[in-house]
Amino acid sequence: MKTTFSRSGPRQTFGDFVCLVCKNFVSAETALSGVVNRNHCPYCLASRHLDLYAAGDRLSACKAQMRPIALTQKQTAKKYAQSGQGELMLVHLCTDCGKASLNRIAADDDLESVYRVFERSQRLEAHLKAALAQSGVSLLQADKQTFVHEQLWGRGQTRRTPTLSENLN
Amino acid sequence: MSTQTAEGQGVVFRKTLGHYSVQALTKEIPCVISSRLRKELVYPTAAASSLRHAVQSVRELEQVDPLAIGDEVRFLDAGDGSGMITEILPRRNKLSRQATVPGQHAFEQVIVANADQVIPVFAAASPIPKWGLLDRYLVATEAAGLPALICVTKIDLAGQNEALQATLAEYRRIGYRIQLVSTVSGEGLTELKQALAGRISVLVGKSGVGKTSLLNALQPGLGQRVKAVSQGKQGKGLHTTTQLEMFPLESGGAIVDTPGIRELSLWEVAGGDLALYFPEMRHLVGKCKFGLNCRHDEEPGCAIRTAVVNGGISPYRYQSYLKLRADS
Repeated sequence: MKTTFSRSGPRQTFGDFVCLVCKNFVSAETALSGVVNRNHCPYCLASRHLDLYAAGDRLSACKAQMRPIALTQKQTAKKYAQSGQGELMLVHLCTDCGKASLNRIAADDDLESVYRVFERSQRLEAHLKAALAQSGVSLLQADKQTFVHEQLWGRGQTRRTPTLSENLN
Repeated sequence: MSTQTAEGQGVVFRKTLGHYSVQALTKEIPCVISSRLRKELVYPTAAASSLRHAVQSVRELEQVDPLAIGDEVRFLDAGDGSGMITEILPRRNKLSRQATVPGQHAFEQVIVANADQVIPVFAAASPIPKWGLLDRYLVATEAAGLPALICVTKIDLAGQNEALQATLAEYRRIGYRIQLVSTVSGEGLTELKQALAGRISVLVGKSGVGKTSLLNALQPGLGQRVKAVSQGKQGKGLHTTTQLEMFPLESGGAIVDTPGIRELSLWEVAGGDLALYFPEMRHLVGKCKFGLNCRHDEEPGCAIRTAVVNGGISPYRYQSYLKLRADS
């Protein structure tokens, strides 16, 4: 745990970590991620099943890897937001116990990776889709491609070209 | 002229800075500890087989005080109403904690010796209960081999607190006895008196939870000093009781009142043994994939983690285990 200070006062956050999957060092600095709770790796988007009842409670004993499987929209709409314009959220699924959780996309998340999650989610197994729908999570379908693109790169912006390292991979 | 001294035996029931009050039959005898005994207990320097008692090694100090409340001692009666403690009889058990002075090594502080049960006292409200601290008390109690009776005071302030009831139900499920009391309404006092009768019980808990108020309610003649908690948002206790003391009960047995303990560092509880002091985890120790080498933290195939995920063990208790493990 570490204490960060914001306008709303001191806040307890969890510290930096090394990603279980890609082994990259991930900083929990709010100035980098734009979110208070850094809950997934910005490079490979993998997360870990650490919370049980509420975000940040760290009460889960499962501790298994959570993989990003789809995108959804935040359901609690802001007061003056237009309908259907909720924030993009990542849907993580625990590889051990199957628990799903919705997480905010951070400012420094790899947008290409996020988009690839959206593309892969179109081929998601039917039983997973049904299970998520039963728990009230509506996944973004192919007809939302323009919306996802705009959310990630902005309206009228083109998708950025892959970097040299990505091409080599 | 030689003075005649008689030997006696009693129980230490109060102590202050090297002075000990010993209860021997019906008499209270103020005693000091003999220098020889203090050296034996605190500085065992000479080898027993050494003819000249040459210093073989100097052991570091390990204890804050060699004598604890509840110790059975032999003493020499000086004849003037005072005495000198010459021997401490073997202890049946001891409830200890680690007393640390910043920058120095850890000392053992024996809170009480030869007790029959420990009563962790928590207020239902004001100050709000800290369940992590209760788990520390329970582990210390298990390590001492003593039974615990969780006492929740100020139950009149709790109202219909569902979260409190759910937490208490969890401790009942583990097998701990719980007594809800109120010194205002008198609720639960009769049952508590029955649980205390004929036993030496130790009241432990943080400041302001009502340990001394409970004692006064159980035995109105005592009239020990109590204070209300602070008026701030937190409602913290004001450290009213400042010394350990054992009080005999009219119903038989005795009760040891302790000053509020805000922190309790465990003494001689090894991290590897910690799960054994959680009754709900005890039967799972050794059943993990890595057997006794499992730390029950991130290891795959851990039986305890699986039990937490399946609901057999409270996630809050498991978190307490991990915190204690990190501290040990």
